[in-house]
Amino acid sequence: MHAIPAEEATKALVGHEFPGGSYKIAHWENFLLTGCTGAEPLPNGLAHPVALFHVPIMGAGTSIAEMFELGQAESQLSIIPESYDWEIFQSLKEEVEYDISGAVVAAERRTNAQGQTYDWVQFCFDVRSPEGTLSARSTITWQYTRNML
Amino acid sequence: MSTREADTAYEVGYSIPEWVMESVSAERMRTMAAILRDPNPLHWDREAVDRLPLALGKRTINQGPLGLSYIINMLHDWMGPECIQRLVMTFPQVVLDGERVIAKGRITKLQGGNSQRLAECDIWLEHAERGVLLKGQATVRINEDGYQ
Repeated sequence: MHAIPAEEATKALVGHEFPGGSYKIAHWENFLLTGCTGAEPLPNGLAHPVALFHVPIMGAGTSIAEMFELGQAESQLSIIPESYDWEIFQSLKEEVEYDISGAVVAAERRTNAQGQTYDWVQFCFDVRSPEGTLSARSTITWQYTRNML
Repeated sequence: MSTREADTAYEVGYSIPEWVMESVSAERMRTMAAILRDPNPLHWDREAVDRLPLALGKRTINQGPLGLSYIINMLHDWMGPECIQRLVMTFPQVVLDGERVIAKGRITKLQGGNSQRLAECDIWLEHAERGVLLKGQATVRINEDGYQ
């Protein structure tokens, strides 16, 4: 059994801001990433939209591992992805330096239909072009399970 | 294709042409994990998956975004590589290596005028025996001539 963090500690995550920063999707990275999806490279230097998972995270100056730790995950196995919401205002492109910010926008303790406790945490990342235009927004919602898996 | 013909083709209830991943690849999961800097061993360690109380056996679990990417590929093949405005995805079941999965979608609402129509779509990833693995909604810009 793992000790469950205090509910107040979970609630206190709201408003946590990541350092922020920038990210450039290299051609090789987009090529490999697109290959993983089973698709051919997209034309005109377009980045495959699947980049909207890791680019905002890494560009905001954090990592999947750090996000696990932030919510006091019991282990790397204990996170259940609940939803990903990707809004695309401008297609992302290779070799463009995007400015990225991110924060925890919601966090609370919940109980599932089986009566099991988990912490529900929502992260939001904004991806801006070099001109400052909002190009994309990624909202990640994870469940930090507690003694469930 | 004329606009009138297009209106007939892209109506509520229209089924988007399917996109098939014949066999989800453990190797691609490993590459993906490296690019994502994803430390979760479920994507590359069969023993870790086998130890879970989920009776999945010695398999690896596909990254959520990778399953979602099959649906993106379906939408790209349908309406082009810049057609997606929004994707909201949930993950009711895991996707395992070696599985054959099919990305599917259906228009639920059409909006916008002649200059740009948008389709709201239900989207999902399906397995022949296990049913729906991922499901969500997409907002897609309609190219009246489809994507060539």
